[in-house]
Amino acid sequence: MSYPAAYLQEIESLNTEVSESHPTDILQFCANFFAKRLETQRAEFLLSSPPAQTSKMSGHTFPGRHGTNSNPFGGEAPEQVKKGAIGKVMEEDENDTMASPTAPSFSNTSFGSSFGGDAAGEGPPSSFKQTSGEGFPAHYGLGRRTSVSAESLNPTASSNEHWNPPYHQKTEEQTTRLQKSISGNFLFSHLDDEQSGQVLGALVEKAIPAKGIKVITQGDEGDFFYVVEKGSFEVYVNPSGSLQPGPEGLGARVATIEEGGSFGELALMYNAPRAATVMSAEAGSTLWALDRITFRRILMDSTFQRRRLYESFLEEVKILSTLTKYERSKIADALETQKFPAGTTIIKEGDAGEAFYLLESGEAEAFKNGVEKAVKQYRKGDYFGELALLNDAPRAASVTSKTEVKVATLGKDGFQRLLGPVESIMRRTKYDEGVEEIDPLQKK
Amino acid sequence: MAATTQQDKDFIAHFAASQHTLPPEEIQQDPRNKELGRSSKGLCVRDFELVRTLGTGTFARVWLVRLADPKEEDRDKVFALKVLRKVEVIKLKQVDHVNHERSVLADIAGHPFITTLITSFSDHDSLYMLLDYCPGGEVFSYLRKAKRFDENTARFYAAEIVLILEFLHEREGVAYRDLKPENLLLDAEGHIKLVDFGFAKRLGNRETYTLCGTPEYLAPEVIQSKGHTTAVDWWALGILIYEFLTGYPPFWNANPIEIYKQIVSKPVHFPTDPVISPDAKDIIRQFCTVDRSHRLGNISGGAARVKSHPFFTGVVWEDVYYRKYKGPIIPQVRYPGDAQCFDMYPDEKRSRDVYTDELRGKWEDHFKDF
Repeated sequence: MSYPAAYLQEIESLNTEVSESHPTDILQFCANFFAKRLETQRAEFLLSSPPAQTSKMSGHTFPGRHGTNSNPFGGEAPEQVKKGAIGKVMEEDENDTMASPTAPSFSNTSFGSSFGGDAAGEGPPSSFKQTSGEGFPAHYGLGRRTSVSAESLNPTASSNEHWNPPYHQKTEEQTTRLQKSISGNFLFSHLDDEQSGQVLGALVEKAIPAKGIKVITQGDEGDFFYVVEKGSFEVYVNPSGSLQPGPEGLGARVATIEEGGSFGELALMYNAPRAATVMSAEAGSTLWALDRITFRRILMDSTFQRRRLYESFLEEVKILSTLTKYERSKIADALETQKFPAGTTIIKEGDAGEAFYLLESGEAEAFKNGVEKAVKQYRKGDYFGELALLNDAPRAASVTSKTEVKVATLGKDGFQRLLGPVESIMRRTKYDEGVEEIDPLQKK
Repeated sequence: MAATTQQDKDFIAHFAASQHTLPPEEIQQDPRNKELGRSSKGLCVRDFELVRTLGTGTFARVWLVRLADPKEEDRDKVFALKVLRKVEVIKLKQVDHVNHERSVLADIAGHPFITTLITSFSDHDSLYMLLDYCPGGEVFSYLRKAKRFDENTARFYAAEIVLILEFLHEREGVAYRDLKPENLLLDAEGHIKLVDFGFAKRLGNRETYTLCGTPEYLAPEVIQSKGHTTAVDWWALGILIYEFLTGYPPFWNANPIEIYKQIVSKPVHFPTDPVISPDAKDIIRQFCTVDRSHRLGNISGGAARVKSHPFFTGVVWEDVYYRKYKGPIIPQVRYPGDAQCFDMYPDEKRSRDVYTDELRGKWEDHFKDF
């Protein structure tokens, strides 16, 4: 963390004042100090601020080509540039705090918890709220933001080693309950059935035999996410940002987590210091635990495999045979998975064609009006409806699922947004591949 | 091939003199034919005088340096030296990331709006990257001081960033992954230099999976581990333009989890004050689109389509690239090594983990490119 030089200066003079005056009401003293500083600084600023800037238009910034008034970056004369944007904004905002006692000391509210505590309530002391400007959020921490990163993982499918997610047996009832606990969470809500099944299987039981056991400790590194199976847990936050020694070291109790509740989800994204301490409130409690690497690996491996599958399917689609690898990867990125039970009509003869489909699993058949038997069978890796990408002609046949099927689909609109019209992609065939065969100039 | 240390030093001292803006296709040339960005086996940290800290990260510190024992005429030549401690890099599991950083920077050295890797070297404990010094400091500092930028200022920086992303994505296949005002420096003329390539990665034709970036700027597909591509940088550019114009990002909270919930589910909301033009709102919304098949920059046409968005009406892109427009903020730089535009940073902590022989045995080979 760094401190702006101006801030350090202010703090240093505050320190001097405090050590000289020995105030009893520290907070009031500091508030007064800053109010006074602000007043002085404002007065100085107003005295020194330049007269209202005349908008002298000048085209120097932009030689030639355009008229002097058309500089898209504004028409300040070069000699005014130094005061430039900043000077102007400062004038507009002169009623606001410029030397705001910004983030470093006051933005340390990251303990606002993921535990049901309303973090928005955690703000700087109220005497500082008024300093925020019109339309400016009162609590926004203005400090430098730190980058975050998970450990770099490479898909196992890209190497030879094979990885299977850990599996821990659970009763059907337990699985249903867990499913319910996590389904509303934004880290899980978008998972498909397969991923969700693997994640549920990977949750491991953790017995918490006694009361007062700290499951996670504020300030420590975090690798696990927990769901409460049995018992209840109390959440404590110490405003210093980490657990301190001594009886008061836990800080204030901010929440209680009951059965079905969960905590520590940030650890599934990256390793960040824990925002709170969570402690068992009764003996004989049970938790389910999931670690970040397992979670991320499950998601990554299944996504990676599906992407490669889609790309290999796309390679087979005749009208798309000229797509580059990069383009195929873009389309694979945009494909959406849909599931249909057996006997569903996926596309209907005579309808306007809007999307094409890749059959990911299951079987389907094509029928034509007036023909009793299926005219075509589809299996994994087959595709249908692709002519919809080319024209608006009605579907030439109906396709019905024979078993439960999973398809990957993309609409004509989506395709065109990503790659432009299919016609031009088909047309370019002859030029991109084997130029020498068709271009007489290339021949020796 | 192996240059002597003295040759390396001469190259360092004079690299700036040979700098003029090259067209993108020349920067992209085969990196083996490039003088810039090579690893030096002879240089060591004692060849430099460390003047002061310019910035710190989780496992790196950037120093303002000059050549130790310089020739008379090289006395006022200054550089930025990024020092990464091997043991920290290993502990934070960033070994892959620092190697990507070095190799990407070496390949793209010479771009007008990207920090130039002059050379790299290493010693027993640390890895070093010698970069050009950007005396203007962070756009972050100017933004916080000004509270917000007007649209012309925001447009100027956004335009230079569009050219950076066009180059990285479409010429190099690189995703940058950490766009934010903190990583944009100003050079003496007020033009952007993008720094910190710690998360940059060459993608080829594939998506990537490692979650990285800065909470307020993460794209939804990164948060939800769906596999991500260069499209994340366009998302972040939308967030950045928003922050330029309002002074704060569209999604924020003291608790990161709450930020992530907003990013994946909420549309960008604009305040009534300051007034943001319809074109600016539109480009922000088009960048910050959860569905990547709708996201500007990622859809057909790529960066060309971004450039023709009404927000950039009147911009002559060729002139942007060749730095013909004047920067809206000209840093107050009194002499070449002036660092008054940078904040002060506390000294390094004393307690340090040791790069033991055991670690060395296991990891040293991973650092051989430096």
